[in-house]
Amino acid sequence: MITKAYLMIKMVKRDGYRDALRDLQAMPEIKSVELVSGEYDLMAMVEAPVTVAVVAKKIRERGWVERLYTLGVETVEPNPFLDEVCSIPGGEGVLKCVQCGMCTASCPNINRMVYSPRKIIALIRAGRRDEVLASNSMWVCASCYLCTVRCPRGVKPTELMHALECLAVQHRLSNVRTSTPAMYQTFVGIIRRNGRIHELGFMGRFYLRTFFSKLRFSALRTDPLAAVRMASLVKMVPMGLALLQRGRLPLRPKKIKGIEQLRDILNKAQSLGEVR
Amino acid sequence: MRYYSYFPGCSLEATAVAYGISIDPVSAVLQMELIELEDWNCCGSTPYGSTNELEAACMAARNLALAEKTGLDLVTPCSSCYVTLNKTNSSLRSYPELKSRVDEALAAGGLKYGGTVRVRHLWEVIFNDIGLDAIKSKVRNSLGGLKVAPYYGCQLVRPDLGFDKPEDPQSLDRLIASLGAEPTAFPLKSHCCGGSLVISETDLALDLIHQLLESAASNGAECIIAACPLCHTNLDAYQGLVNMKFKTRYNLPVLFFTQLMGIAFGIEPRALGLDRGVVPAKKALAQWL
Repeated sequence: MITKAYLMIKMVKRDGYRDALRDLQAMPEIKSVELVSGEYDLMAMVEAPVTVAVVAKKIRERGWVERLYTLGVETVEPNPFLDEVCSIPGGEGVLKCVQCGMCTASCPNINRMVYSPRKIIALIRAGRRDEVLASNSMWVCASCYLCTVRCPRGVKPTELMHALECLAVQHRLSNVRTSTPAMYQTFVGIIRRNGRIHELGFMGRFYLRTFFSKLRFSALRTDPLAAVRMASLVKMVPMGLALLQRGRLPLRPKKIKGIEQLRDILNKAQSLGEVR
Repeated sequence: MRYYSYFPGCSLEATAVAYGISIDPVSAVLQMELIELEDWNCCGSTPYGSTNELEAACMAARNLALAEKTGLDLVTPCSSCYVTLNKTNSSLRSYPELKSRVDEALAAGGLKYGGTVRVRHLWEVIFNDIGLDAIKSKVRNSLGGLKVAPYYGCQLVRPDLGFDKPEDPQSLDRLIASLGAEPTAFPLKSHCCGGSLVISETDLALDLIHQLLESAASNGAECIIAACPLCHTNLDAYQGLVNMKFKTRYNLPVLFFTQLMGIAFGIEPRALGLDRGVVPAKKALAQWL
C-alpha cells in the first residue's frame, strides 16, 4: 500500500530555493518538487510506502522550513502495468502526460487506431494492461515523430509506442486487425540469420505468411473480405516485377562476415533478458 | 578531401540501389571520401526496436563499436538508419541499466563501445560540411525552369536532432535553388509516407502517399526529390497502386537528392542510376540530360 500527498512548505527565507530543492530531491519518497507562489513557497509530491506523516515530520525538522501543511492524502492502488511500462526505456514518459491531446491531433494514422495515443496513456495509467497491449494503436504508428516534437510535456509518444510493441511481443498479446507484428517478426528473423535485410526474401516471406495464415482459398466461401485481400495481394505483382526488372530486388541474400559475432552478441543479450 | 565512415544501410543494396550509385560520383565531385564501414550489419530499424529493445540496441551498437575504431563521423544516407543509430546512442547515455547490458552483450562478441561516435545523415553532412556555396560552384548544367518538390519525410528532421526545422524544413528547398531549379511549395513536405507500414498496412500507406503526391502535383512539381530509401520507394514504386486506388494519373518521377545534384553537376545519367526509377524520369528531365 502506498500513500500519496502534496506537502505545502513555507520557507524561513525565500532566497534558499536552490538548497531546499536539492535537500528535498535527495529524499527517495519525494517524487517531484515545484515552486509555488502565495502563502507557501514549495509544493512537494510524496509517495510514501507506509505513511506520509513520517516524511512530513522529517521535512518539518529541517532548519529552512518555517511551516508545513499536508494536503490531500490518498492511497494509491498498485499499478504493476504502469510500473512495467515505465521500466522500459522510452516508457517512463507516460508519467508526464497532462492529457492535452496534441499527440492525437498530430497523428497521421489516428483514424486507424482503436485507441488514440492520448487514450492509450490514460489506459496505461488506469492499469488496463490487456486493453492496451491487445490494441492495434502501436502497430499502426509509422514512427513519424510528429507527436514527439509537438508534445508540450516531452512525453515522446513514439518511443512509448515502441515500448508497448515490445511488451505486447513479450506477453504474446496480439491484435488480429493488423499484420504489422508478423511483418516485424519476419524482418527480425532475416536480420538475425544474415545480419542484413534481404528485401525480396523479406517481402516474399511476409506475403506468403499472411497468405497462408489469413487468406486460404477456402476462406473465400466464409470470409467476404478474403477476396478483397487476395486481390490486393495480386495487385502487388506488377510493382514487384517492375522492381526486379530494374535491379532493385536482388535475388541472392547477403550475409555479413561477422554473423557468428553478431549471433554471439544477440544470444548474450537474449540471456540477459529484458531491460529492467 | 574530407573523410567519413559510411553506413549505406540495407536498402542501398536493393530498392534504393540508385541512391548508392549516385552517391559515388557526387561525393567525388564534392571531395568527400566515404569509407564504407567494414562488415556493417542492419541497424535494426523500427521492426527490431518494436520487438526487443535490448537486442535492437545491440544490433545498432555493433555498428557503433566498429565505427568507433575508425575515429570518423558515421554517415548514413538512410533516414531510418540515422534515427535508429542516433536513438541507440542517446539511449546508451540516458539509461545506465541498458548500457551495462549492451556492454556485456558486445563483450560476448569481443567488442566495446565507448559512446563517442557521431551519427550523421548524408544530407546534413553535405549541407553543413560542404555547404551550398561549394555545391553551386560545381554546377555545370543549371536546372533552370525545372520545378522540384522537396520531400523531407519524417526521420530526416524528426525527432528534432537540430539540423533543420522539424515541421517546416528549408535545407532541401535551398539545395534545389542552388542547382538552378525552382523549389515548389509543398505543404506536406515533412509529412509521413507510411514507412515500412506500406508492407503490412498497405491501404493506410497508400492514403498517405496519395496525399503527398497530390500536395506535390497540385503545386506544379515536375519531379520530387527524397533523402530516404523508404520515402523514395513508397512515392516511386507505389505510385501505380495509388493511381489504381484513387483513379488518379500521377506520373511524378521521384529522384534521390544526389541524383538531382549529379544531373546539375553534368554527370552522365547512367552513372546516376536514373534508369532505376519505376516512374520514368527521362521525359520530365529531357532538357537537362
